[in-house]
Amino acid sequence: MADGGAGAERWDRAAIQSLFDPESGWLDRRVLSDEALYRLELERIFARGWNFMCHESQIPNPGDYFINYIGEDQVICVRDEEGRVNVLLNTCRHRGNALCRAEQGRAKSFVCSYHGWNYGLDGRLIGVPGQKTYYRDDFDRGALGLVKAAQVDSYLGFYFATMAADAPPLADYLGDVGRTGLGMICSFGEVEVIDGIQKNVIGCNWKIAVDNLFDWYHVMYSHASANSSGIFNAAAILHPNEQMVMLGEFGHAISGPGVPADVQAQIDLMSDEERTTASFGRDMARARPRRASELMGASGVRSMGHPNIFPNLWITLGGLQICLRLPRGPLRTEIWWFTLMPKGAPPHFRERALRTAIHLFGPAGLLEQDDGENWSQSTRSSIGVASRKLGQALKMGLGHDQVTTDAAGQRFIDTCVNEHGQRWLYRSWTEWMAARDWAELIAHHSAPPTGVV
Amino acid sequence: MTEVKIDPRASDWARMSLPDRALLQYEVEQFFYDEAALLDARRYRDWLALIADDIHYWMPIRRTVTMSDLDREFTKPGDMAFFDDDRELLEMRVKKLEAGSAWSEDPPSRSRHFVSNVRITDVAGDEITCDVAFHLYRTRLESEVDSWVGRRTDVLRREGGGFRIAKRHLFLDQTLIRATNMSTLF
Repeated sequence: MADGGAGAERWDRAAIQSLFDPESGWLDRRVLSDEALYRLELERIFARGWNFMCHESQIPNPGDYFINYIGEDQVICVRDEEGRVNVLLNTCRHRGNALCRAEQGRAKSFVCSYHGWNYGLDGRLIGVPGQKTYYRDDFDRGALGLVKAAQVDSYLGFYFATMAADAPPLADYLGDVGRTGLGMICSFGEVEVIDGIQKNVIGCNWKIAVDNLFDWYHVMYSHASANSSGIFNAAAILHPNEQMVMLGEFGHAISGPGVPADVQAQIDLMSDEERTTASFGRDMARARPRRASELMGASGVRSMGHPNIFPNLWITLGGLQICLRLPRGPLRTEIWWFTLMPKGAPPHFRERALRTAIHLFGPAGLLEQDDGENWSQSTRSSIGVASRKLGQALKMGLGHDQVTTDAAGQRFIDTCVNEHGQRWLYRSWTEWMAARDWAELIAHHSAPPTGVV
Repeated sequence: MTEVKIDPRASDWARMSLPDRALLQYEVEQFFYDEAALLDARRYRDWLALIADDIHYWMPIRRTVTMSDLDREFTKPGDMAFFDDDRELLEMRVKKLEAGSAWSEDPPSRSRHFVSNVRITDVAGDEITCDVAFHLYRTRLESEVDSWVGRRTDVLRREGGGFRIAKRHLFLDQTLIRATNMSTLF
């Protein structure tokens, strides 16, 4: 179904495609601040794509709910009496009031605070005060249930939803790269979310927060003070000459340090027991157990980098945390941090992992403290008449790298620090933005590249 | 909310005479004002000298919850938090601020730490427990303005003629943190 496309008149296909040039890495700065483009993003990216909602462990019992967003539409993710997870628009069908005003909790049903309309956990309208007396029974409750997301599905316990009935199934949407990214989180076993989602708001465009996760160039400079504080050892983590990139369907990508293929070949020969102590003289995240190769693929398992599930779900710290970047207008983004732990993790492991999660990321994290201003000032410089015409230069590594395809069909690039992930994000973004519906996006989007990139 | 305890070991405050209470109240408030002045003056090393070796400096995450769910309003110790620091971590924060490359604090923030509603709730031996309202106002660069208001529970311990902070638990009045970061100390 073609959308109405607020802003589609001004931003036709040719105009959108001119915003990023994959041949030169030139990005038009207006993608970070233009109001009409933002309105179009809400329709063509957020309402169309699969959005991360919650992990199953956040809502284990009937009635448990967690509030999230699809673009700027607030939704209730709730488990019903049958154990199904429903994603319901949080707006009463009478006058539009929000039904849930807490951000999480447990409910028997959702009662509107305005006139008392009552909805079941599956969204059905089950009670309307005065139906007989005031409405004189001239009222069809069946037609006014809460609006459900068009599709809800999960992978490895992670729930996603889309407002588009014509969106491909979640597994196809994720593709190899999306599944590898979520597999990274579960590579040490099934996980659960630790109580407490950190939320803060930054005065930046959501895309610059997203593209920064592929950026391993800024780490040594932006985060120099965190490095000298002793909280982390950038050199041990960064490995600037051992970077691995995977570019996936519909804009998903993974970028960052990678275990070299010859080292992984040695790991592959080891038992899970042997892997718990293997270090190969490098301070990498623990060598992953065998199950990780099934979840991430024989090549994907080498990645120690950052996956992003398009548009806005970042997986970091080897899968210990995930971060949503929620759009709040072109110049504002909410950052939500979820922390995950293998089920039954021993106390010392849990304690160490939480220490890392709390002290690196989040608004008070020693690493992340220094990111926000880079993003807000870069966003701000996309507004001025003279500065917005300059574009941004995403040129690093362009034309210098080769995509390899392994026996199972996984595609990856072994290289040094680069900007392939950022270019892939903006290239995919122009394709999402130019397409009027899923059929057009499927017909016109770029397949993950082969050959020289 | 009163937190006067029945524990006989912790009943010193209840047994103290009014003049003794007034003196202690004065002493504690002056300590908090001096501490706030150190932070506002960015004298972080001097501030660290006021921190006990066994400090627990903790800011849990607050959530918007219904009345029936109020016991889950704050995350619990051992779950996620904004700060969950021991002395080593506070030293790292100060080291970062001194590194010369802490870009989120260079140019430095301008901050004003206010403390008020100081209520001593317990005196037990060398330790004084206080319930304090705080307001940390910060501006940055040209137009960034942040304001954090909340309640905190502090434990002050008498050591060598002064106080050291043995516990600081911070309960913010915000759920969504309306700031780019929290790069200042509370």
